[in-house]
Amino acid sequence: MSVVTCLLCSGAATAADSVWSTIQLHGFAAQSVIKTSDNRFFGDSPETSFDSTEIGINASVRLDPKVLLAGQVLARRAGDMYDGTPSLDYALADIALIASPERILGIRLGRVKNPLGLYNETRDVPFTRPGIFLPQVIYYDKVRNIVLSSDGAAVYGSLYNDLGEFSLTLIGGWPVLDENVQWTYLGGDFPGTLRPNGSVWTGSLWYATVNEQLRFGLSGALASLRYAPHQNDILGPGQTDIVYGIASLQYSAQRFTLSAEYGLEPVKWRSYGPLLPRQKVTSEGYYLQGTYRIRSNLEFMACYEEGVADRDDRDGSEFAGVTGGMVPAHAMFSKIATVGLRWDLTPNLMLRAQYQWNQGTLVLSQLENPDFTRQREYWNLLALQVAFRF
Amino acid sequence: MTHRIASNLIHWPQWITILAFTVLVMAFSPRRGLTQEVIANSGLPNTTITRNEARLFFSMKLGIWPNGAPVQVYVLPDDHPLHREFCTQVLGLYPYQLRRVWDRQVFSGTGQSPVTISSEAELIERTAASPGAVSYAAKPPENPRVRVLTVK
Repeated sequence: MSVVTCLLCSGAATAADSVWSTIQLHGFAAQSVIKTSDNRFFGDSPETSFDSTEIGINASVRLDPKVLLAGQVLARRAGDMYDGTPSLDYALADIALIASPERILGIRLGRVKNPLGLYNETRDVPFTRPGIFLPQVIYYDKVRNIVLSSDGAAVYGSLYNDLGEFSLTLIGGWPVLDENVQWTYLGGDFPGTLRPNGSVWTGSLWYATVNEQLRFGLSGALASLRYAPHQNDILGPGQTDIVYGIASLQYSAQRFTLSAEYGLEPVKWRSYGPLLPRQKVTSEGYYLQGTYRIRSNLEFMACYEEGVADRDDRDGSEFAGVTGGMVPAHAMFSKIATVGLRWDLTPNLMLRAQYQWNQGTLVLSQLENPDFTRQREYWNLLALQVAFRF
Repeated sequence: MTHRIASNLIHWPQWITILAFTVLVMAFSPRRGLTQEVIANSGLPNTTITRNEARLFFSMKLGIWPNGAPVQVYVLPDDHPLHREFCTQVLGLYPYQLRRVWDRQVFSGTGQSPVTISSEAELIERTAASPGAVSYAAKPPENPRVRVLTVK
């Protein structure tokens, strides 16, 4: 009897030990310094801003070879946009239903990151980005939450054969919104509240060659927001429908990586009343980026990006005319050329420097730059970053 | 100070076409060579492994052996010469590509990273001691609790 109990004990202890041994803790912390010639970007950058801090910590445990639990807390300070209050970045259970060398199929339940483009899932992790800032015309920092993560369920699957890997992910859930979304999609902080109107659908389809030299992906999100007006609100109970699509291409060689992404975002507004008439506007952005590894721990990066708020009014002149110059034409587009350097002093410590030439102010947060007349069309940016990971 | 950025400098559809073509040609050119050994704990029934399986195990995308045992991956640091050789020669991946995959998984909650060990000797020891362990070595190890897997 006692022998049996003992055997049971030791069996349970071994199983528990093996689960304990799969626990992993990882994290990162980064601080940036930003100086711009004009316009506020992540704080009072014309006066030199230190208001960009990113701290994240995550834990994961494998309960079983097919079940993973994982969660991350993120604290992000970004000028006037985010104040550093910690938030739950993701918290999920990943269950593999099929796990073989030919095919993998599984589900994720909880708060999951949306797999949009090359970088959205880990957009706040400095080590995973090609620069201090991601290309803003695809990965707008002024409005990130609507596409950042979903509270819901994901189905993922991959096929592996002689051609390479084909992967598909579909996510249905609710987005997490904040006032940045309101500023961007309504052009101001109105008294009412903007809420998700039903669920958000996100999907991605990727193809990678056998040795992942070439990766091609299509990803997108469908979202709808409903505005609940406050008493005596100047806006009506409107609805905003958003479609976001990104095509991505990445080529990785020993020394260099080339990336290109193109994004399209048709947005429809209706029932907001006379102040915000029914309309459909499609914004567009693309970038081409190259990184070159001078040594294994030293990397040079160059990027060119362009984004327009309305593809039928690329230079913004029409909108400037409609608003009688209230909104200058240059607020409707951004053209940015960037050069940067990344130096990994140790596997855990990274330094970065980046310089940008900007024409246009589309990428600026209106929350940070509410007065259009004070926005300068031509502006430059210098940023330095130190980042630590474990 | 102002700088004009000429948008017509870049006619992007043409650039994309040139880029796509170059990339396609280069992506399908194979990499060659095989000198390092994939090693595993001798408790596993396997004696061979496909290159695809090796890639999936070391990229931490597949965490289970065909017999249902959990896979435990041990690696050397990214800049270790043996790690670099193993990645490029056996897996056909550059170390930075593996790192990119691990980081994407670790920081999005969709996977874990392998256990990093600082020396080859310890790598072999840990592989010998952990059931389900898979790793690599410069030559077949003497340790009887470690088996060399043939990569098909």
